[in-house]
Amino acid sequence: MSDFVEQCRQEWKRLNVPDPLAEEMAADLASDLREAEADGISAEEFLGSSVFDPRSFAASWAAERGIIPAPARRGNRPLVLVAFTALAAVAVLVAALLLATGEPKVRAVATSTGRPGIAIPPVPFNYHPGPGRLVLRTASTSASASAPVEWILLLVALAALGFAAWLWSSRGRSHPPVTA
Amino acid sequence: MAPGSQRRTELLRGVLDLCLLAVMDEGPAYGYEMTKRLRDRGLAIVGEGSIYPLLGRLERDGLVETYRAASNGGPPRKYYRPSSIGRATLAVGVSEWRAARDAVDAVLAPVKVEVAS
Repeated sequence: MSDFVEQCRQEWKRLNVPDPLAEEMAADLASDLREAEADGISAEEFLGSSVFDPRSFAASWAAERGIIPAPARRGNRPLVLVAFTALAAVAVLVAALLLATGEPKVRAVATSTGRPGIAIPPVPFNYHPGPGRLVLRTASTSASASAPVEWILLLVALAALGFAAWLWSSRGRSHPPVTA
Repeated sequence: MAPGSQRRTELLRGVLDLCLLAVMDEGPAYGYEMTKRLRDRGLAIVGEGSIYPLLGRLERDGLVETYRAASNGGPPRKYYRPSSIGRATLAVGVSEWRAARDAVDAVLAPVKVEVAS
């Protein structure tokens, strides 16, 4: 068991725990382990699963005492996730509004080269680009292969919303609501 | 870890701080001594870390006071006892625990448990 205490001591040193505090914790731990052993209690019975992970045990003890900063947790994730979900929801709403009102008349079209373009309301001149160029076309001149930007936005937003829902559900599984 | 053991561990995790405050309220104790007092009441802490980080948190939060003294012929040990805030926390926590326990009992009481022989 002195090996366990020694590994804890090394971890505290690595974490810059002040020597007097590290010595105090190591001495208390060693004394308790000796007494437990004398009582016929194994280190695993006394320390639980921590006995297999002295580094985590040592870091956790020091962090809980406030000697070192608590390890970074996933506390920022909900904020990011909330923002992402809100953005996806807004995008769905915007796409739905655009589809409902029919404005603006913007379309993504496929050019003769197969590359996408954006169509906007009529322009006062007729422009013929060369092959492989991005094309802006009016809605009235768009071909049957055109896809309204509103629909694309809606699909992307719905996919983002679905992804957000999946993230929330996975978070719920990894963070059970009833914990100590 | 078996499902039953895991549930027991999770149940215990929520009240272990209260249990520690309660046993040290009986008289100042060092770490291992507290586990002995708990074990004497049938509460073995197995499988879920140890009491040290929790004692560290209680100390950081000002719920316990500590001092060093020689144990029975052994080396000096760090003794813990509840502070006034710790005693107040214990009293509130015990009330909350009893309310939760009674509510759960009310739900689970009608369940008939068949014990396989």
